[in-house]
Amino acid sequence: MPEVKLVEVTKRYGKVTAVDGLTLTIEDQEMLTFLGPSGCGKTTTLRCIAGFVIPDSGQIFIGAQDVTRTPPEKRDIGFVFQNYALWPHMTVYQNIAFGLRLRKLPKQEIKNRVHEALNLVRLTGLEDRYPRQLSGGQQQRVALARALVLHPRVLLLDEPLSNLDAKLREEMRFEIRELQRQLKITAVYVTHDQSEALVLSDRIAVLNQGRIEQLGTPEEIYQRPVNKFIATFIGLCSFIECQVIEHESGHTLVQTEDGLNLYVKQTDVVPGQKVVLAIRPEAIKVSLQETQERINTFRGQIMRFAYLGENTDCWLKIGKWDLRVRFPAAQSLTPGQWVWIYLAPDKLIILPA
Amino acid sequence: MGIKWYRIVFKALGIALIAFIIFGPLSSLVLWSIAIKWYWPHVLPQEVGLAYWKQALGLQRDWAIAAVSIWDAFKASIIIACIATGITMIVSIPAAYALARLRLPLKVLFLLFFLMPKVFPQQPIFVNLLPIFTRWGLAGTVQGVILVHILVCLLFGVWISTSAFKAIPESLEEAARSVGATAWQTFWRILMPLAMPGLLVSAIFVLVTSLTEFTGTFFIGLPFVTTLPMLLYSASGYNMQFASVLAIVLLVPSLLLMVLTERIFRPEFLGAVGR
Repeated sequence: MPEVKLVEVTKRYGKVTAVDGLTLTIEDQEMLTFLGPSGCGKTTTLRCIAGFVIPDSGQIFIGAQDVTRTPPEKRDIGFVFQNYALWPHMTVYQNIAFGLRLRKLPKQEIKNRVHEALNLVRLTGLEDRYPRQLSGGQQQRVALARALVLHPRVLLLDEPLSNLDAKLREEMRFEIRELQRQLKITAVYVTHDQSEALVLSDRIAVLNQGRIEQLGTPEEIYQRPVNKFIATFIGLCSFIECQVIEHESGHTLVQTEDGLNLYVKQTDVVPGQKVVLAIRPEAIKVSLQETQERINTFRGQIMRFAYLGENTDCWLKIGKWDLRVRFPAAQSLTPGQWVWIYLAPDKLIILPA
Repeated sequence: MGIKWYRIVFKALGIALIAFIIFGPLSSLVLWSIAIKWYWPHVLPQEVGLAYWKQALGLQRDWAIAAVSIWDAFKASIIIACIATGITMIVSIPAAYALARLRLPLKVLFLLFFLMPKVFPQQPIFVNLLPIFTRWGLAGTVQGVILVHILVCLLFGVWISTSAFKAIPESLEEAARSVGATAWQTFWRILMPLAMPGLLVSAIFVLVTSLTEFTGTFFIGLPFVTTLPMLLYSASGYNMQFASVLAIVLLVPSLLLMVLTERIFRPEFLGAVGR
């Protein structure tokens, strides 16, 4: 049974349409991420699910219940904020127990559940601290415990890690994912960080200008982006504009206006069509000697490169086209150097122009 | 070494200057309040005593000393100030919450409205208020004076309380709603405790403003309602000793409340107000 359903949800602020007729179903026990640039409507959508924002039109269901106009406190949700939003006048214990106390549960049960939640986020022993005595990471764990202790139907997370430093952020990604799986909770996660989305999600909804550009598993989004926006937003990607010439022995032949012929495995296009070829770094093979491949091999030049530690980030040029590639750091390179470049036909993606 | 020496002297002079600016007028007040006889060109009073204090505090009654008991005026001042503060805060807190949180059209105009009694010259306002109050039967009554004080005090009540609420991030309220608190529960259990230091400061400002309010009381209250500032006014022209006694009495609550404000605004406390 679907846990959260959005039907044609629209929210405007003045002339700006933050969420534009968004329809989406989030399955039971699924972790779905809203990913997109700032201002794409991802946070507004999440706040609509939480009830902090009432949409101008459309419907929101949690379970079978239409909650479009239900106040947040009656929605059975948990919300984790970017700025943690712990109550500074309460201890860790009081913060986590607040929701249980409102429900007038017996004292002993509250105590057990708070300790269970603290154990879950590995903060046992910090009950009597005040939020200001905790680090950012600890505060966000408390916020997570405060949301989880109520066993909500849906956990909503609004960029919960973006105030933390890079190393902690990476650790907590896995931790949140682990918790969500362990508790079998339905979760909606908002982020602008593509690697966070790839790690955390069962499915990703990439949002742009209040609409879903693409919805799919991390693999689908990365390997089969539906347009240039998605391809740029997730992972590195280079583009070559070309025209479809013909289909030939299971491949599609495309040609650029400066006369490069490229073969692509994908065949769902018609000759004459103008297209954009999306090229991920893994599709590019660079070598100093001529390769054995008969097709898709070009002479190219190294324009510049940046040392990244485990690998080297490199800008290449074939004709007038710029390509971005990564390879192991060991290779010795000089700017201006000529190399052979092979583009693997099965890894090239044809996108609408 | 030399530089150090100069620095110490410089610092000492600075402290002395500040002390003089603060305590100079105060010591003059104290001197005047105990001076029985002090004629030019003497630097210090020729004769000192507590006669004016005794008379003012109602401990003695001597027709030769031009001072009356201040107890009635003191009581009137305290009662008026407390009631005015109570009502002002009851009005200010919901108004401030609305101004801080709700998307109201004309919000700025509304805030300016409270500023009105302060931006225009005081006298014409109260002179024009007098016929209205007379028509309503409020002129010369305690109720009338309380009403005038509320008008003057609302500025501090609303403005300071508004910033007290504004200082609390909205996400703290949303967090409470998300764990099941109603808007009402959120207000009382999250917002009020967090806003309390700011609201107290606001109330203290209102209390001090009411205690020392002069112009409105003068036009609306006199001659039937006499507060401490009224007494001070009538004494200040001819009777330095009695005026000084009154000034010191008026200073006491202000100083006490200032210390209190300072305590409320301790950094730890501010830290808890929710960055």
